[in-house]
Amino acid sequence: MASKGVRCLNEAFKGLSLSSQTCREAVSHRIPSSTITRSMATEAPLPKITTSVDADSLWRPASTVPLTIFNFPSFEPQRLESWSAKHLQLPLRRDILHLAVVYEGDNTRQGTASTKTRWEVAGSHRKMRPQKGTGRARLGSRQSPMLRGGGKVFGPKPRDFGTKLPRKVYDLAWRTALSYRYRRGELIVCQDGMELPLPAEFADLVAAGALQDELQRSFKAKWVRQVLDANDWGRRSGRSTFITTSPRDNLFEALEEVPNYGRALEIDDVDVKNLLETGRLIVEREALKELIESHQSDLVARVFVTNPALPRAPESGKVLVE
Amino acid sequence: MPPRIPLGLAAQCCRASIEQPRSSSLVGLFNALSIQSRSASILANLSDNPGAYQKRIRVGRGPSSGKGKTSGRGHKGQKQHGKVRPWFQGGQTPLVVQRGKLGFVNMLAPVMSEVNLNKLQDWIDAGRIDPTKQITPKELVESNLVGTIKDGIKLLARGADALKQPIDIVVSRASAAAIEAVEKAGGKIMTRYYTKKAIKRLVEGKSVHTVTPLPTGPDHAQPVLEELRQKGFSYRLPDPTGRWDIEYYRDPAHRGYLSHTLKPGESPSLYFKVPPAKILKQEKKQKGTTQEDTKLWDKL
Repeated sequence: MASKGVRCLNEAFKGLSLSSQTCREAVSHRIPSSTITRSMATEAPLPKITTSVDADSLWRPASTVPLTIFNFPSFEPQRLESWSAKHLQLPLRRDILHLAVVYEGDNTRQGTASTKTRWEVAGSHRKMRPQKGTGRARLGSRQSPMLRGGGKVFGPKPRDFGTKLPRKVYDLAWRTALSYRYRRGELIVCQDGMELPLPAEFADLVAAGALQDELQRSFKAKWVRQVLDANDWGRRSGRSTFITTSPRDNLFEALEEVPNYGRALEIDDVDVKNLLETGRLIVEREALKELIESHQSDLVARVFVTNPALPRAPESGKVLVE
Repeated sequence: MPPRIPLGLAAQCCRASIEQPRSSSLVGLFNALSIQSRSASILANLSDNPGAYQKRIRVGRGPSSGKGKTSGRGHKGQKQHGKVRPWFQGGQTPLVVQRGKLGFVNMLAPVMSEVNLNKLQDWIDAGRIDPTKQITPKELVESNLVGTIKDGIKLLARGADALKQPIDIVVSRASAAAIEAVEKAGGKIMTRYYTKKAIKRLVEGKSVHTVTPLPTGPDHAQPVLEELRQKGFSYRLPDPTGRWDIEYYRDPAHRGYLSHTLKPGESPSLYFKVPPAKILKQEKKQKGTTQEDTKLWDKL
């Protein structure tokens, strides 16, 4: 058994060292093992091994990413800007997004569920029936949790479900969510003052008082549906979230009519969860800037530094092509 | 896919950023193809890292859990049924009861924030403190070298060799070694009386930093008042009123800001005086003579 095993091993080694064997033979032919009398000038030169690495081949992460600013609703590209990679090109961290979404969910819980214990249920605490002699079960007060209309044992009481998350983690989650959208091409940035323009005829009719409320609303709904469908932003392609700095009457009212086409939010109402929900984000440039600037506490040092040459917050929004 | 500015044009602007990460896996291909498909939200696929949470141990829920019968509390006794208070010494009379407490805590003593020289040098190296200007408590607090404002700031000498450049610093107190280190580096150090409120006002910009004490006496008050009326009101920095403080800041060894008020040969102490050299000699002589002259038993 043992000899067989050794033979097998030998064969395996031979198979492995096929190429090296030839080398060894060549060397042994050239250099007699007894004495080396002459210099090794005739030996073939070894291939040069260069250790220096070409500087261009090193991977350097890009510090900026391009961002196109579009017109709304014609959707023509207007500008190309360069935004910091720390704002829009962060790696996807599902754990951090999870923490942020759970944190928001916890903090939006009302926590107002309330029940009455047996001591809070109104009524007399008189003994319902004599202890003995009725042939029925012993009973005390009418509020006993065992009885219908009695108090609730261990029921919910108003409480705060809110949890805490370090500010820097939460801010990182914001930018991670935006980066995720950016990388997938689902972050559409529009010029400032994004608003849904309505046709002049409609405005004339409204001014003349020819359109009732119902008609106005249905027209706006149809209009916004057409705009969204034309850009592939509608219901078929997974709804859209519009984010603006201030309420835009036409856009907000129209989108309220067609909730399965999208929703419009002001920046104060936006959460990380909103950024991840729908098919795409359509954000005003100013709104995006504000969102990022208010959520970069992990990038901006809070130390008081006298030296102006030291690094500050990453810059975003430099215009490259107009 | 929304229309974009032509790739070539964008590539000129930021060459590196346009390059997509080369992923050999099918994921990239799938992502590219899935643009037109129905989008699925990432919300369903979020989770924390494995191991981020520890599962709660459910106690008393059957033998297979390992914490079933006694719930990890052992058998019988106070430890099973309730709790034993911490530092319980097994029934022995506690030492603190036997021997009592020693000493006391002086609640009135001023509490100093400590600043060490190595930390100060680190801050200077990081550009958080400018060594070319005078370093006052305001700078120390604003640069976060001093976290909380206490009754004062004391400079200590840890890492005294680390000090590279001359500094001009004003603090509440300084150790002898710290004074020596600062002056060895060619710097200037002065100690000044501050209170908690005074440092707070300095940081808030409600008062102006100065190392000259307030003038005292009615003949000095008028010019100060006039100056104040012209400049507008700001809180003035306080001067010490307690004996210990006055003596500390009068002492040139502490580089106190009141040390210039000392006359030559005057002691910083308000109570003890320095005996002049002449008197000492005379006393010695007198002692010698008197001892020879007067003998108790002679008179008797």
